[in-house]
Amino acid sequence: MGSLAPGQHAWSEAHRPYPTTLPVRTYVWELPVRVSHWFIVLSIAVLSFTGYYMHNPFIVATSRTQFLMARIRFIHEIAAAVFISAFILRMYWFFVGNDWSSWRSFWPIHKRQWRGMGQMVAYYSFLKKDLVHHVGHNALAAVTYLLMFTFMLLEIITGLTLYTWVRGSWLLGWLFRWIPGVIDIQHLRLLHFCIMFTFFAFVIHHVYSAVLVSWEERNGLIESIFTGYKFVPRHELEEDAKLPK
Amino acid sequence: MTWGVVQVFADQEPHIPGKDETMIPPNETFYGALQKKGVTRRRFLKFCTAMTATLALPPRYVAQVASALEKTKKPVLVWLQFQDCAGNSEAILRSSHPSVLEVVLDLLSWEYHEIIMAGAGHQAEAALQRVVKEEKGKYLAVVEGAIPLADDGVYCTVAGKTAISIAKEVCTNAAATIAAGACAWYGGLVAASPNPTGAVGISEAVPEAKVVNLGGCPQNPANTAAVLVHYLTFGELPALDQYNRPLFAYGRVIHDQCERRAHYDAGRYVQEWGDEGHRRGWCLYKMGCKGPQTTFNCPSVRFNDSTSWPVKAGHGCVGCGGYNFWETKSPFYERLPNVPGFGADVSAGKIGIGITAAVAGATVVHGIASAVRDRMRTTPPPEKI
Repeated sequence: MGSLAPGQHAWSEAHRPYPTTLPVRTYVWELPVRVSHWFIVLSIAVLSFTGYYMHNPFIVATSRTQFLMARIRFIHEIAAAVFISAFILRMYWFFVGNDWSSWRSFWPIHKRQWRGMGQMVAYYSFLKKDLVHHVGHNALAAVTYLLMFTFMLLEIITGLTLYTWVRGSWLLGWLFRWIPGVIDIQHLRLLHFCIMFTFFAFVIHHVYSAVLVSWEERNGLIESIFTGYKFVPRHELEEDAKLPK
Repeated sequence: MTWGVVQVFADQEPHIPGKDETMIPPNETFYGALQKKGVTRRRFLKFCTAMTATLALPPRYVAQVASALEKTKKPVLVWLQFQDCAGNSEAILRSSHPSVLEVVLDLLSWEYHEIIMAGAGHQAEAALQRVVKEEKGKYLAVVEGAIPLADDGVYCTVAGKTAISIAKEVCTNAAATIAAGACAWYGGLVAASPNPTGAVGISEAVPEAKVVNLGGCPQNPANTAAVLVHYLTFGELPALDQYNRPLFAYGRVIHDQCERRAHYDAGRYVQEWGDEGHRRGWCLYKMGCKGPQTTFNCPSVRFNDSTSWPVKAGHGCVGCGGYNFWETKSPFYERLPNVPGFGADVSAGKIGIGITAAVAGATVVHGIASAVRDRMRTTPPPEKI
């Protein structure tokens, strides 16, 4: 598999000229995108469980030596560090990654992106039978991810503010200690808690729509977040390359 | 016998203060006044040590505090009460045996305090006026209660003058003003929604006054005393935080100093009032204790002669030391505030789980519909050719 260059097809030599509808194995998601994706998934899972426990300690310990809450908080803080690192990596890749992971593909700055959003909404609401294909994210998914990145940033800011409320370095203190003077610490806590549920709702929809699109397009979408490769019809790849970035 | 009695009376000439003889400031040192009252050197040093500890100063400062208090002249203090419940005065007076607080009462020359002063009516108001004129820039003012600003401040008047006009006159001429309790700090209960009288705290009512805010409902008298001792010892007010509260009292989270903290870390929680955990003194986190959200020194200084404080007594903290706690720390028995627009019975967790369940349900329905659509396609998508 590795011997094929991007855009090259396994059948290309034997079946030239092959139809433009034949899928081409394309490297879409680069390694940092996949790594940050999975670390974000794992850390959000751990953070949600430990965070919910910190909100409502549903296991009441009887041991004098287990220090359940202290350990849960410790895991929460470690997972938060992993989450922040993965988030920073993804933010960095917005600027150095390929066209499909660039920040430009997320902001709806072109008319075709707004059109694409309308088409996706029409597809999801059964007004349109067929999907419009995309090599990277479709426009609707892109703005949803942008919203989720904003929520993640809010979680990081509120989380670090809650962290500096009890400890933290001079740098974190300098960055975040002014916030409880503007928004009360209780409301920050409420925000930190409520945003968690948007992640739950998002994950359900995200996995479902990935499976749905993968099924409809037969393009290996689900596998692509593990391998990085999608199977894209050649004409779509060529059209995508022509698009103004 | 009879003659003797007459003679005794004759010896005691009625004392009428002359014009040149002002009662303020009493021309004696604080320590001298204490000695006259029979306070021993030992108790005086105990007081100095307690104050040094409350101020979070190293033990070597005890000597400095003691020598400063020995030499200092008794400063004049006036205590103003506006929209209040007198709870902060009560906290100061709630001293069951002679200790720190009695010393505090002797520390200053209290010239005006509505609920404890002997004088009344014009006499009392004259005393206040005299302090403002003759001790201008030297006396300390303590304000208790909120100041109403709505309708020209008519909702609180003392001796025919509005609270705001009294506060402006007294606090601008004072060396420093201490806002005692939540109401004087930002309006407290009086300013809680819907705040019909337009109540505000002293800093907002009189912006030009130099104010130290002592939050709490009530404020802790030990902290009031410590602020005064700091002022007398070092000639300046203690280090303040962003709300002008002294850092020694409001610099640390209650949760981090709490005697029940080990139970929190171990995961041992009171589940309902009076259960096994409650009787064993476990952590009140699940009962809505706001200790983790509030900065105050209650666990170390405590109330009522340091006998107890709410969490020690088995009730969660309500966060009274925090800014606007009636609004921000309620409901007092829940972990988180209510989500705006959802009523009091719906918690954030219920809303979140509801939204998640709704999305999950919608996804299942959408999935079934999509499968049906796939079946009904007349022409297969191009990939399937």
